[in-house]
Amino acid sequence: MARIKLDRIHKVYGDRYPAIHDLSFEIEDGEFMVFVGPSGCGKSTALRMIAGLETISAGELIIGDEVVNHVDPKDRDIAMVFQSYALYPHKTVRENIAFPLRMAGVAKDEIERRVNEAARILELTPHLDRKPGKLSGGQRQRVAMGRAIVRRPRAFLMDEPLSNLDAKLRVQMRAEIVKLQRALGVTTVYVTHDQVEAMTMGDRVTVLKAGRLQQIDTPQNLYQRPANVFVAAFIGSPSMNLYQATLAGSQLTLGSQSIALPEAVFAARPGLGAYSGRSLIVGIRPEDIDDAAVTDKRDYAEISAPVTLVEALGAETMVHLALDATWVDAEDPDIAAAETMSRTAVGRFSPRTQLRAGDRARLAITPHNLHFFDPDTRESIW
Amino acid sequence: MADRPSPDFGKTVINLAALVLVLSYALPYVYLVSTSLKPPADVQQIPPSFFPGRVSLENFATVIGTAGLPNAFVNSTVVAVLTTLLSLLIAVPAAYVSALYRRRITVIFLLFALVTRMVPAVSLGVPLFQVMKTLGLLDTTLGLVLAHTSTAVPLALLLMSAFFEGVPKELEEAARMDGCTRFGAFVHIILPLMPSGLAITALFSFIASWNEFLFALLLTSQNSKTAPIVIAEFNSVYGLAWGPMTAAAVLYSLPVILVTLLLQKQIVGGLTFGAVKG
Ligand SMILES: Nc1ncnc2c1ncn2[C@@H]1O[C@H](COP(=O)(O)OP(=O)(O)OP(=O)(O)O)[C@@H](O)[C@H]1O
Ligand SMILES: [Mg+2]
Repeated sequence: MARIKLDRIHKVYGDRYPAIHDLSFEIEDGEFMVFVGPSGCGKSTALRMIAGLETISAGELIIGDEVVNHVDPKDRDIAMVFQSYALYPHKTVRENIAFPLRMAGVAKDEIERRVNEAARILELTPHLDRKPGKLSGGQRQRVAMGRAIVRRPRAFLMDEPLSNLDAKLRVQMRAEIVKLQRALGVTTVYVTHDQVEAMTMGDRVTVLKAGRLQQIDTPQNLYQRPANVFVAAFIGSPSMNLYQATLAGSQLTLGSQSIALPEAVFAARPGLGAYSGRSLIVGIRPEDIDDAAVTDKRDYAEISAPVTLVEALGAETMVHLALDATWVDAEDPDIAAAETMSRTAVGRFSPRTQLRAGDRARLAITPHNLHFFDPDTRESIW
Repeated sequence: MADRPSPDFGKTVINLAALVLVLSYALPYVYLVSTSLKPPADVQQIPPSFFPGRVSLENFATVIGTAGLPNAFVNSTVVAVLTTLLSLLIAVPAAYVSALYRRRITVIFLLFALVTRMVPAVSLGVPLFQVMKTLGLLDTTLGLVLAHTSTAVPLALLLMSAFFEGVPKELEEAARMDGCTRFGAFVHIILPLMPSGLAITALFSFIASWNEFLFALLLTSQNSKTAPIVIAEFNSVYGLAWGPMTAAAVLYSLPVILVTLLLQKQIVGGLTFGAVKG
């Protein structure tokens, strides 16, 4: 077990733009760290540099107390779970799990004991003598886990290990991996592009975009205090609604609508006062909008907007609203262009709502939960 | 509707066409075998008969008694086995590197390997003779092995790199994470995945050497003559000895046919290139 420290790490493939730019942070001993971000943001690259499978163009990588930039993967004492599992097709499950121990020169009976133990933990005992080709996706995934845990390495690296499973199994394995990691207490770096996985699994989450660190924090803090527009939109589903707005004194104007911000909002965000008389970006999470006619929310401000679509999901109802303020693009390359173009706000409404498409809705908005961003730097205003 | 051929009809046509094709390959060989089984008197009968009127093993008896032939078979075997081993030793790691670490330089490398095959063997004969003479390797097993290896390696290289293309890169990476060096990963994980590829490549290298005539003719004279040379000599040294010559040719072809039959499963399996599933 060990901490992992990245110190001003850069990665350039060939002569192209940097895939990782100036990445510095520290992963604590025993911590479950998630790397999340849209496709191509450099998550795998960062992970593979920690693994030693990719060279580091500049900066220092420290595992434990040792600079490992030039240490071979086999000598880093780190286990990795691949997205494709990368099981050895010609070896049985038993041989697959035993392989890292055999390479480490562990004694035969000790290998036997530890493989059996890993198989028991992962419920693979009945399959030990089968070949990976004969296993289901979930079983293969667990063999890959078994191969990683059997060696008791200093750290686990996992690159989207659940993305080849169906949704139900994914949720189940998500919980199992977290449980296993807690039990073993091994420092873990987990790569995903799924913000739900990031939020539910990580002790802390590193958000990357285009090779640059956006924010590194606990899931709660990412949600409540996103550092910038990108993180605000990336974390949470459906995405945060982002609009151009103007502030005049305590009066916030969003298109044709306006809200009086209570004093507490300015107290919580001392920087906000300076934006009086200027434009800024305001963010409203779907869960902070409700139908004013039926809401349980208190201390809300009211605005109104036409309803364009109502999706009843049972426990909640998603209501799409055509706010007439200017929509702000979050610059997430994974959000389909069409989705950005539709530019409707989404509210996560109480299922008691009677609203229909075409109605003009009275909306209850909680001012304390609004997010504010600088329109130029796109950083949060605090 | 009525004039559209039924699927059965189509299948029959395809099977017939395949049969004709196979026969056209097989016919010369069948004729060779049938001639070898004729008594010496019938071999040059006019008009020639396709099937032997009487079956006789006399030609085979003559051949086995011929001085120099058993020795030539031994030479052929030694040269072909050594050529196969040396070719695999060179081509397999090279193919792996050029397939898994594809760079401009490895593409050029493979291309150049192909170019050597495009030059007619005859034009290589003279320089090769000079080289072997300089090295003092004329009429030696080693000299012939080196010559044969130079022709077998390009083919082995291309075959093996096609097989390696199908291996996911993550397998090597997983092995390296599990404590292997790159070479260890190659030996422990990648090579054991390739029995078909290795079998086919070995077979092709073996056949290339086993059947090679020109270099053997140029580079050997006494000690390390291979069987194809000795078989060809039946028609000069002993006059027109068609019967024994066909018998020798049949004997000489048997090992290759036998090995091919033995490796049938690997060969057919291996022809679906790159089907390594995780
Ligand atoms: N071997 C490589 N050679 C050149 N460029 C590469 C290589 N690997 C990755 N890249 C580039 O580096 C950037 C980061 O890639 P990376 O695979 O780390 O992204 P990722 O965040 O893991 O994306 P995904 O979610 O799609 O897996 C991308 O722009 C990618 O095209
Ligand atoms: Mg990736």
